[in-house]
Amino acid sequence: MAQAPKEFSIVGKSTPRIDAYERVTGQAQYTGDIQVAGMLYARVLRSTVPHAKIISIDTSKAEKLPGVKAVIHQGNTQIPWSSGGHTHKRFIFNNPVRYVGDPVAAVAATNRHIAEEALGLIEVKYEKIPYVLDPNEALKPDAPKIGPNGNLSVGTGAFSAPIEESWGDLEKGFGEADRVFEDTYISKHVNNAQIERRVSLAKWDNGKLTVFASTQGVSNARTDIAKDFGLPLSKVRIVCKYMGGGFGNKNQAQDYDYMAAALAKVAGQPVKLEFTREDDYIGMHGRWSSEQRYKIGVKKDGTITAVSLDAVTNMGAYRKQSGNLSGTDFYQIPNFKKVIKPVHTNTVVAANYRAPAYPQSVFGFASFLDQIAFEMGINPLDMFMRNRIRMSKSKIPFSSNYLEQCIIEGSKRIGWSEKWHKPGAMSGPQKHGIGMAIAGYPFRPGLGAATIRVNPDGTAHVLVGVTDIGTGAKSTMAIIASEALGIPLNQIQLTNGDTDATPYSIGESGSRTTAFTGPAVVAAAEDVRKQIFALAARELKVKAEELDMRDGQVFVKVNPAQKIPLEQAVRNAGELIGRATTNPNFPKEMDGKSFVAHFAEVEVDTWTGHVRITRYVAAHDCGTILNRLTAESQVKGGVMQGIGMALTEELLIDKVTAIPINPNYRDAKVPTHLEAPEVEVIFIENYDPYGVFGGKVVGEPPITAAVATVANAIFNATGKRFKVLPITPDKIVQAVRV
Amino acid sequence: MEDKKGKGVSRRDFLKGLGGGAVGTAVISSGLLNGDPARAYVPEASGAAPAKSIINLKVNRKNYRVEVEHRSTLAEVLRDELGLTGTKIGCDRGECGACTVIINGRNIYSCSQLAVWMDGKEIVTIEGLAQGDKLDPVQEAFIEHDGPQCGFCTSGQIMSGKALLLKNSKPTEAQARRALSGNLCRCGNYNREVAAVLAAATKVG
Repeated sequence: MAQAPKEFSIVGKSTPRIDAYERVTGQAQYTGDIQVAGMLYARVLRSTVPHAKIISIDTSKAEKLPGVKAVIHQGNTQIPWSSGGHTHKRFIFNNPVRYVGDPVAAVAATNRHIAEEALGLIEVKYEKIPYVLDPNEALKPDAPKIGPNGNLSVGTGAFSAPIEESWGDLEKGFGEADRVFEDTYISKHVNNAQIERRVSLAKWDNGKLTVFASTQGVSNARTDIAKDFGLPLSKVRIVCKYMGGGFGNKNQAQDYDYMAAALAKVAGQPVKLEFTREDDYIGMHGRWSSEQRYKIGVKKDGTITAVSLDAVTNMGAYRKQSGNLSGTDFYQIPNFKKVIKPVHTNTVVAANYRAPAYPQSVFGFASFLDQIAFEMGINPLDMFMRNRIRMSKSKIPFSSNYLEQCIIEGSKRIGWSEKWHKPGAMSGPQKHGIGMAIAGYPFRPGLGAATIRVNPDGTAHVLVGVTDIGTGAKSTMAIIASEALGIPLNQIQLTNGDTDATPYSIGESGSRTTAFTGPAVVAAAEDVRKQIFALAARELKVKAEELDMRDGQVFVKVNPAQKIPLEQAVRNAGELIGRATTNPNFPKEMDGKSFVAHFAEVEVDTWTGHVRITRYVAAHDCGTILNRLTAESQVKGGVMQGIGMALTEELLIDKVTAIPINPNYRDAKVPTHLEAPEVEVIFIENYDPYGVFGGKVVGEPPITAAVATVANAIFNATGKRFKVLPITPDKIVQAVRV
Repeated sequence: MEDKKGKGVSRRDFLKGLGGGAVGTAVISSGLLNGDPARAYVPEASGAAPAKSIINLKVNRKNYRVEVEHRSTLAEVLRDELGLTGTKIGCDRGECGACTVIINGRNIYSCSQLAVWMDGKEIVTIEGLAQGDKLDPVQEAFIEHDGPQCGFCTSGQIMSGKALLLKNSKPTEAQARRALSGNLCRCGNYNREVAAVLAAATKVG
């Protein structure tokens, strides 16, 4: 296993978050906590019909309500929202409306109750258009058209359709198979459901727009808003210091940021726009649902010879993201073809939710592989081990790959060889089951920037554009700076998430913060260290190249006893500034991934259909772990989200009215403390040569295998295969009775 | 108010039952269920000033005399009037627990209490747990055990943990889970939060 070139000072330890104090004392100021003088409150009115032309909007009564300061709607405010749709042009208010929840108007008033009351006074006349909710129905030629080109969501580049990928020779592969299996697996729309409701506070000062946003990326939020409002970047400032979760649905800038800005402009006062929890469920997006039709060819020993996947993914009314399904990426498939059709329907929009294209897709493929293992009399552990990925797309090497060790260590920890039994073999109503799955998430380095200021007293100030959506990104950046500089963590101050103060960052999405901004922090540290060594060299009467720094002490490498404290070197320097913009990349013909192997034990009560997860082991290859404490939390949390998706969560849409009927925590059934198993985390520590300090990605991998793992454990317990998510008690009771 | 009865249940009640929530008003106004969106029900603007009362609160050992709208919740008054924004609002409908505060020794959702009901009550929020610079053991344990990920539910988790320890200084893990079960954490950090509360119990005891 690849080893780090030198011993780390702080990297790899368990370090409490640098802002933990603020987070446990209520001092952390989230977007909704910010109050500015003269601030108004805003609320959004949403379409009550799934597809309709707006004939008229009468806002006169709302405008007369005392306290109402601004009402905007499609008739008076036409601002494009470029990142909101990639197949047909999307505005912040659209006519026609295309789903129940499509924004129709927004009101700003002196308090939120007045804004809410005003929404009820707005009279909207709709002319209904036929609508379609089911993606398969939507693809039929006579279906109501949602986009100008029909319902197959055809955009350009990353948004083309269908999404196609293939290699090898599919026919040859199926010809080499001893058996060929075909089946269909279905996943449902689930909402990100982060606890912080969407909120945005916008104000204009002399033509400059400031948005206190709840965003995962201040830089791309600024780019979006500047573009769509026709402003230079210098006239837009985005600030996000603390962020209450997003898991992909607060990427960039969203329509509510635009509405707050537009209302603030009209009212001439700052506006805070708050979503309700229902707004959050229906007005933004969740994970795309999917119908996955597989054909898999295998040899007698279980080796996959060919896979074809035909799928539809339901993107709702607008195409914000790809709609891809990528769960097959963790399996060695010599001959492969997939055709994914992202489809428009008159339903809530689907886009990014933690590892967008993976957990639903891994559920389908890994469930089916588990089923094939059963039908061929192969132990699932052998099946997954045999078919684990070695070469990306069957031919491209990985920067590092310890998936095999994940499977070995995880299966040992859970006790697979002692505990696995034939599916459905337990007698009695309480059935034990054990299951597993393998998956992961892409890793690659990329564009980042950082500035490090060293003060005359030897303390340092790191400036990075990253937001911290809960991953611990601020702490990770400070740890990287501490390690790279050779200054203790408690001597480092960090400023993040303010486009007027901090340099570019990709935004906290795609598990890219550490991989993209991390190398820039290292490079900025090297830049400022050179300046420090130049000053220290004079005091120590050596050459700068002979110096190193650790624990805030500058010392001569060949004689560490010859040293001076950092502050002595820089005390008369005013301020030293290190800066870097870096854009590392893989060599040609290389792929990167973090890998995971997950294992679960369940108790299924076949009388009530209740599933209790009694044990969960998650083994991860994420390269070097930069902060064990927060990395383990990430894994535990991702698994919990996967458990919710496997067992309970689904946004239900009434077929007659097209109204989402459970847009809230209780009815959409987000897991609570009572459903949480202890998640045992194993890190297969290694050093990826392309990761910062050898680290790959941590945030998204944990959810990728969790759904399939739980589903496979339920199969082992009951002997019944559940091909439609979520695996709710009614489905279990029904299946077991048959 | 137009109240179209149908099969013994009013449309409003039916939609409420479905959890229509925020779209509720608009849903009704469009008359979706009778399929005629043009026949919208639009209430007249009352224009009347909202009713207000003056109440006395003791929050974090300090006395407040504050005028509140009758429709304002305790969570709103704490955050907007008293500036105690450590109490978060996650759902505003009694489901997530981010707004949990301790009222007369019990953990209660402050989004589900009207402020006018709180006259004379003694309330502790996350800002009132520390004694000067000394953090409460539950807060310390949340730092050590990485209790907060995004941190938005953290105040509520800590207040429920604190309320448990006030009643039961030596809870079992099952008791801790039960006590925190009204506090959702979408980051899924449940293992950490329970571990932190149990660790705090050993410090207290």
